[in-house]
Amino acid sequence: MILSRERSQLGKVARKAVLLTALSCSLSVHVSAQEEPEVAHVLLAKKALICGEDGRETINNAAVIFRDGKIEAVGRQGELELPLGAVIHDLGDSWVMPGMIDLHSHIAGSGYNDMIYQCNPGLRASVSVTPQNERLNMGMLGGVTTILFIPGSGTNIGGQGVLMKTGPGDFEDLVIRDPGSMKVAQGDNPKRWGYGMQRTMMNHHIRVTLRKGKAYAKRWEAFERGDGERPERHLHLDIFRDLEAKRTQISTHTQYYQVVLASLNILKGEFGFDAYIDHGSFDSWPLGQIAEEMGVAAILGPREVLFPRAATYPKDGRVEGSAWGFQKEGHSMIGFNTDAPVVPQEELPLQSAMGVRYGFDNSEFDAVRGVTIVPAQVAAIDHRVGSLMAGKDADLLVVTGDPSDPRSAVEMVWIDGVLASDVRGSYGSDREAVRRW
Amino acid sequence: MVALSLMLSLGLALPCGDGLVIHCGKVMSMDDSDSIHAPGMIWVEDGELSYVGAVREVPEGWELRTEDEMWAMPGMVDLHTHIHSGGWGDTNDMVHSVNPELRAQAALRPANRLGKLACAAGVTCLLGIPGSGTNMSGFGVLYKTKTSGSFEEVVWKRVGGLKVAQDSNPARRAGTEGWGNCRASMGWTLEDVADKALASRREGRRDPALENLEKVMAGELPVLIHTAGSEGVVNTARMWSRKYNTHCVISHGSFDGWKVASVIAEWGVPVNHGPRTMDWFSSRNGRINGSGAEYVAAGVPLFSLNTDSSVIPQEEFFLQGSMTARLGGSPYQMLRALTIHPAKAFGLDDRVGSLEVGKDADIVLYDGDPLDPRTRVMRVWIEGELQYDRDETRAFF
Repeated sequence: MILSRERSQLGKVARKAVLLTALSCSLSVHVSAQEEPEVAHVLLAKKALICGEDGRETINNAAVIFRDGKIEAVGRQGELELPLGAVIHDLGDSWVMPGMIDLHSHIAGSGYNDMIYQCNPGLRASVSVTPQNERLNMGMLGGVTTILFIPGSGTNIGGQGVLMKTGPGDFEDLVIRDPGSMKVAQGDNPKRWGYGMQRTMMNHHIRVTLRKGKAYAKRWEAFERGDGERPERHLHLDIFRDLEAKRTQISTHTQYYQVVLASLNILKGEFGFDAYIDHGSFDSWPLGQIAEEMGVAAILGPREVLFPRAATYPKDGRVEGSAWGFQKEGHSMIGFNTDAPVVPQEELPLQSAMGVRYGFDNSEFDAVRGVTIVPAQVAAIDHRVGSLMAGKDADLLVVTGDPSDPRSAVEMVWIDGVLASDVRGSYGSDREAVRRW
Repeated sequence: MVALSLMLSLGLALPCGDGLVIHCGKVMSMDDSDSIHAPGMIWVEDGELSYVGAVREVPEGWELRTEDEMWAMPGMVDLHTHIHSGGWGDTNDMVHSVNPELRAQAALRPANRLGKLACAAGVTCLLGIPGSGTNMSGFGVLYKTKTSGSFEEVVWKRVGGLKVAQDSNPARRAGTEGWGNCRASMGWTLEDVADKALASRREGRRDPALENLEKVMAGELPVLIHTAGSEGVVNTARMWSRKYNTHCVISHGSFDGWKVASVIAEWGVPVNHGPRTMDWFSSRNGRINGSGAEYVAAGVPLFSLNTDSSVIPQEEFFLQGSMTARLGGSPYQMLRALTIHPAKAFGLDDRVGSLEVGKDADIVLYDGDPLDPRTRVMRVWIEGELQYDRDETRAFF
């Protein structure tokens, strides 16, 4: 029931064909290297942002070695032994960092907001994915290599999201995990589903569905223990078996104090599912401490600020950042999202930059962590992506400087060790040829 | 007294009285020779700048502020803003299609909430203009974003310049013409009223409704023109610059307007770009075109940026520069586009836009590069008065 696979050999061939076509016009110099997947590549960079699980480590004059789609080693130049015959990419003053991850995105396809029923846990966003689409490609060029593509917020349970890479390749190549999440929407938008419906009714319907789903999952658990009859298969409720077994999470469109409180109490407190906040806008940050204690992460966006107009929380007329608030409350798992196309996919690092502008402490690169390792851990895909660690997917970005500065450019994108974009040295007159902005 | 005059005549006079000296890590003067003093010093006397340059001895009795880590920049100048009433209200009268008799000053609420945020973000001088619901919506008010003060204390020019809208919005319902108002009709309407103003001045009619428009037609007052798209931009420039030879500035110039940038550059018409600074609509090979960068590359004179606040929040004016730099412009050009260029484009550079002796002491201190969103605005002076101090009251976070 859960699709989670490494890339197939077939996919690899297809992907290579796509890549060769894409590269043949301007980047032929790199093609020969791609034809031999066993050849190791080495990136020599001025600085590597590791984004590791337990620290804020950066390495100056770093070397990153990867082969056959996986990172083999990361360390200081001169201290690492480089494999024989490796292709060396000397990046000069540029930095290397993990590919960025957005856990709230709608740009991998179209037609993802079915609004016939109020709760639709069986619907799958994965069936709408159009690989290589223009917006996905633009996000990839901006350094976003992994997204959670989720249904819209037109209903209280929009369906199942899919965790996927942004390219290149076909769907089987791109998917990291399906279902990537179950999308719950608790504030605002789903109220439009039916006139007269408000928060209490929405929460009631969510609880009814969750209770049915949990009971369904329990029946299957009992059957698998040899303790009961085989339950009738119910496509609408199958995802609750994954949720109950902690194989996937609930990504929650939730914002405002009382709505986020309801999310915490219902999704995590009452039902015990792994869930995370996937908006967290307006005055929800005072719940930061409670969310931290309950182990519910805060993936913030597309709004990153609380404007003084909101009368719901007193704050002396100041404009305050949501990330600042959660951090102030002692929350340790703060990430950023775009809700693309609400904020364009390629502007994910700008979301974290604005978080910093409005108070988020970035002295230890937490803004970068919030678009890399934090979302990877939250979605439980940190064994694959999110940091520069040996054994992880070689999803690597070469950037001209701190990615939280809009003036920094993404110069190279590697996904699974495949060169997906290279615009190095293409400023000035050559810019026309390859750069997308 | 004799001794004093002797000293003055010899150029040895030391300043007296109570001035302010700001000693900073870096002074970005934004003057014509691109002077950067690191470290540098700014002297303020009677609300004006009396010295900007290298560190030197501080006159006795003056207040010295040492801000070693800070960058100083002139306060930013935004020519296309709508926050003068404190919201969207009272900025868009739409009864008639041309309104040369209307003045935005009547809607100004000094030191309103949005203006205070602007000040705290380093934006100190605004042209508050009427909306673009009609073809000629009236005259903007030029004011400073002082955080307190009466109308008289904040307003620099009651009649700061004319606002014309020649594309898109007024086509929806440009006053008496109602539905069906397209480019040809808008062009005719504008030329008609312009010709009336010219005739009024020629014949000495003294029509009060046309009094200020006459000044625009004579080049005595500037005009800011909302226009967009390549055909809109070129038509606007042709009418207001080639035909009428007014002191005109193209505002917006969005979408594919950049495609006529070389013509605009040849005609020497300044461009005040924003709130959109990127072009998705005429994409070449799916690329996002940084339209601001294209205008600069084409050599348009005095390229400046705007927010069209609150379309873009006034406090995010700097970000227009950051994003235009992201999309291909040079960061220093973008600092010009936020300060000295808009000032020069509208003839305000006698008082604002750069840190030079004799100009208003509108000074902003940053704790880093002004284009970096992670940088904080620490202190803001307007006309020598400290208006915002982050250590005292933080407007953000």
